[in-house]
Amino acid sequence: MSVDLATRLIDVLGALLLFTMLLILASGQLFRAIYAVAAQAAFLGIAGAVLAAATGNVDLWIIAGITIAAKAVFLPWLLLRVVRRVQISREIEPVIPMTVTLALAAAIVVLAFHLNASLGPVRQAITGNALPVGVTLILIGVLVMASRRKALVQMVGLFASENGIFFTAMAVSQGMPLIIEIGVILDVVLGALVMGILVLRVRSSVDADIADLESLRG
Amino acid sequence: MTRITVWLGHLLIVAAAVAGAVLALRVLDGSSPPLHAALPRIFPFAAMSLSVDGLSAFFLLVIALVAAAAALYGPSYLGAHAPGPLIQTLALGAFVACMALVCCAGDLVTFLLCWEGMTLASWVLVVADTHSEENARAGLLYLVMAHAGTAALLVAFLTLADRAGGFDFASIRAAARGLGGGTRTTLFLLVLAGFGAKAGVVPLHVWLPKAHPAAPSHASALMSGVMLKVALYGVFRFGFDLLAPAAGPLPASWGWTVLLLGTTSAVVGVLLALQQHDLKRLLAFHSVENVGIILIGAGVAMLLAGGRGPGALATLALAAALLHTLNHAAFKGLLFLGAGSVLARTGLRNMEELGGLARRMPWTAWLFLLGAIAISALPPLNGFVSEWMTFQALLLGGVRLGGASGLLAGVAASMLALTGGLAAACFAKAFGVTFLGRPRSAHAEHAKESPAPMIAGMVLLAAACAALGLAPGWAMRILDRPTAELLGGAGASAAVTARGPLVLSAGDASAGLGATSISVTAAAALFAALAVLAWALRGWPRKAPRRLAPTWTCGIAPSARFDYTATAFAKPLRLIFAALYRPSREIQRETGPNPYVVRRLGYTGEVVDLAETMLYARVKRWVTASAHEIRTYSTGRIHGYIAFVLATLVLSLLLFSKA
Amino acid sequence: METTPTHLIETAAEAGLVVLAGPLVTGYVQKLKARLQCRRGASVWQPYRDLAKLLRKGTVQADTATPFFRAVPVLVLAATVTAAAMLPVLWAPAVAPALPLGDAILLVALLALARFLLAIGALDAGGAFGGMGASREMTVGLLVEPALMLAVFSIAVAGGTTDLGLLAARRESLAVAWQAPDLLALFAMLILALAETGRIPVDNPDTHLELTMLHEGMLLEHSGPGLACIVLATHTKQLVTLALVAALFLPLGLARGAGLAELALALGAFALKIFALATFLGLVESSYAKLRFFRVPQFLGVGLVCAFLALALRVL
Repeated sequence: MSVDLATRLIDVLGALLLFTMLLILASGQLFRAIYAVAAQAAFLGIAGAVLAAATGNVDLWIIAGITIAAKAVFLPWLLLRVVRRVQISREIEPVIPMTVTLALAAAIVVLAFHLNASLGPVRQAITGNALPVGVTLILIGVLVMASRRKALVQMVGLFASENGIFFTAMAVSQGMPLIIEIGVILDVVLGALVMGILVLRVRSSVDADIADLESLRG
Repeated sequence: MTRITVWLGHLLIVAAAVAGAVLALRVLDGSSPPLHAALPRIFPFAAMSLSVDGLSAFFLLVIALVAAAAALYGPSYLGAHAPGPLIQTLALGAFVACMALVCCAGDLVTFLLCWEGMTLASWVLVVADTHSEENARAGLLYLVMAHAGTAALLVAFLTLADRAGGFDFASIRAAARGLGGGTRTTLFLLVLAGFGAKAGVVPLHVWLPKAHPAAPSHASALMSGVMLKVALYGVFRFGFDLLAPAAGPLPASWGWTVLLLGTTSAVVGVLLALQQHDLKRLLAFHSVENVGIILIGAGVAMLLAGGRGPGALATLALAAALLHTLNHAAFKGLLFLGAGSVLARTGLRNMEELGGLARRMPWTAWLFLLGAIAISALPPLNGFVSEWMTFQALLLGGVRLGGASGLLAGVAASMLALTGGLAAACFAKAFGVTFLGRPRSAHAEHAKESPAPMIAGMVLLAAACAALGLAPGWAMRILDRPTAELLGGAGASAAVTARGPLVLSAGDASAGLGATSISVTAAAALFAALAVLAWALRGWPRKAPRRLAPTWTCGIAPSARFDYTATAFAKPLRLIFAALYRPSREIQRETGPNPYVVRRLGYTGEVVDLAETMLYARVKRWVTASAHEIRTYSTGRIHGYIAFVLATLVLSLLLFSKA
Repeated sequence: METTPTHLIETAAEAGLVVLAGPLVTGYVQKLKARLQCRRGASVWQPYRDLAKLLRKGTVQADTATPFFRAVPVLVLAATVTAAAMLPVLWAPAVAPALPLGDAILLVALLALARFLLAIGALDAGGAFGGMGASREMTVGLLVEPALMLAVFSIAVAGGTTDLGLLAARRESLAVAWQAPDLLALFAMLILALAETGRIPVDNPDTHLELTMLHEGMLLEHSGPGLACIVLATHTKQLVTLALVAALFLPLGLARGAGLAELALALGAFALKIFALATFLGLVESSYAKLRFFRVPQFLGVGLVCAFLALALRVL
């Protein structure tokens, strides 16, 4: 695969990642957010495969495979299972109005591109717009975590943010060492498991969501 | 006797306006060189003069157009009910004369004197029409804001005159060439603030929607349609001409500031207009919006002027701004005269109490609709033409400048589109609720059409709206001279109507950007032909019978209470933009002995202007607080005050001797 | 520069095609929905039959309406068809014609004119439903406009023009000139197209319950041939919107001259593009519920941010 084609594909995949991020940000229902984050991880996996084909880096093939398996299939399945088990309402409860969140997202994009301009030397030929897109994904993921009440949606935000970190790492430095990538993915999986169990336990023992933790304040 | 005098006075204004228009057109089409006339020396320190170049002539034309229409309209409007018709006539004459003289001033002293005259004459018009507490307050606020603006101007003017050693524009221009960048920008910002306060630029707009509607309607038309433009004349004159550096581009910060202020004014103005139910106040808020649109064009022109972009692009942007100035004068004048016609015939400004007027006042109604289409930037009228040019300037300028400026241009274009949509919604509401449906009050039910002179005034402006929309080539020729003067180059018609008088094109062949061309005339012809065709084919295949029936209201006998009100029409937007409006509402419910039977329902709701509550209320509190502080030093004895004066004098003498 | 008569004939042919094919698109979407709901559904020609029926019916007009009320349907139809004339449906001239009719901004403005006139007509008769429909439709319309402008802007930045024909010709010549910003702008346009065509999740074209109607509410007082005009205008507007998306994002297969093979290809390409987009409308309409009216701004907000992202990716 030629470098030029790879750059264009990565750019297009970056646009798709951004679009799925917007869907996560704007979805009013828990299920949609989870589907969107699954799609995002799938696109991330494809981006990894494209990079692997372009650079001939075998590690990247493995990482792409693990990404799709773990983040596009297993984790969404886990989250959906938790949602069904705890029978919580499907509505996402935003802390700040959705329109404000969208405006903040737009501001984040401008900020990311501005930062990118000052990080000029890091930019590599093959990555195109990948760096600002990655930074945008990371920041908007955090925005999702900050602006939603439900623990599960915050989990989705964490995944999305994590996807952004992966994308940045893959596109800018052609991937971190394999062992680190696998470690990070395991971390996320473990985090999701812990989170899921916690939510289930909290729900079954005190019938409260983490948004209600506020009331513990003295 | 009084009536004859009033008529004579107004006819005199019409004659003066015609003379002014002829003079302006002669200067604009190049058959007369720029005029210059020295005035008798009144002040020992300054020679006064008048000079009419292309820019002055263009604004003179704007003034003349609306002044002629307003003066035709005025006498019948004042009619029997107006208090002090002679004073109003006199003030109107002085107002028009001062506006014309501001645009023709050849030095700072004449400019400032006429500027003050304009403010005072319009203030008289604001407070003279009806003697109410509210009007007096509006007048006071107007005076305070206008003079705060004048103070800013005065500082800038005196600094400039000090550098130049004289007050005439030629020496100011020469002196400004040598200014440092920081001083130049500070002076520009001062001038912008001074003129912005008069033009109603957000956040300096709060006086405008209070003062403009208070004046008699033809004076409102002049204030909204023209006086704001005189302030914009100041922005153009100082920004592009007097304060411009000798060569090279204008500072980028100017363009950015003007563009941002323009975008904010446009959106805030129209959003607030949408929630007004007082017809004239709604129109006044729309003036804030349109000043914003003009400033968007001016801001792009500033960003591109002087070599940062190709000359044709800057010319396009400036032509858009100037054309919108003329267009807004035409349609806003028309709309204010229409609202005045309603006010004169029903005594009402609140559109909730009107309705059904289209059948009772058809001329007023359909002319108002024409103005509404024009102001909503809908084709094929003039509002669309200038907004289209602004869009193109933003697009091509954005491509040219790229980067953050390109993004800002895109956002400004998108906000301009939002403004157009909001304006359309606002005027669908204003026209629909005022003129359509059933009358909601006895006054509206018994309204009669206005007399012919009032209609004539409106027809004049409506004709201008249609002509400027359908024959853009003609308008571009008027703009040739001002654009060439301010930016150099070949002028507007070379840049915009190079492909013939009926085709508008925007493009920049030198930079490899494609040209976009439209022909509003052709689109309008196609529209008309299709409408005729559809009308003819409508009765095919058979002539269907037609009958009248009551409007469907789910089977209940319809009454005026079923009609959608202005409050209801604007409700979706009130909720969507609640963060900006902070709406409040109160419902009074009066029940009988049984709580389920509601006898009466009362609804009061209002929205706030964030600038007023966030900014002005705070300033007011701060001023009041500091006044309390100062009271300690305010002894009440006259000797003490004189001592303060003495101390100030000594202090300033010391300061100046040092310099 | 192309000769004027040829260009005018082409423009008329394209506008005629859009008007004639408009009801067919509606019919296809209805059929698709029916099949997805396991119904047989009416024939795809049903909208034509409805129009023919309406044209033969008598008119009942509200007694409070002004004479202008009768002109509203005709003007709405004329404005919509004029908008259709702006589109490059079959031809994309590489040079600007002498009488330029092809600007995207003019197209959007003409659709806005049609909407404005329709709202005026709805308020004319009095009564609450017309006003409610007018208020809501104008609200949705003005929320669509800024996002639409941003999306068009982001495409026009690449071509340096807003002339749809030139834009199509220029982008076609860049082979498959798809870049990341185009993708985001396309998503934005698809979201906006749902609103512009008055379909679920923004509006429900099938409802006749007064309180849920947006567009239909404004048509309540129209009847007979007048209603036929407005319904035809609605069909045309739907196809215009889809063709606008096609012209901006899929400018392939457009003819240069008048050769028969070339024309057949262009017609086939147009049919294919519209078929794909109409299928999208039908699928979305079958799989989503109508949004509550005050959720619509949020839905359109996604479109706005998408368009903003597209522009940011393009210029930054």
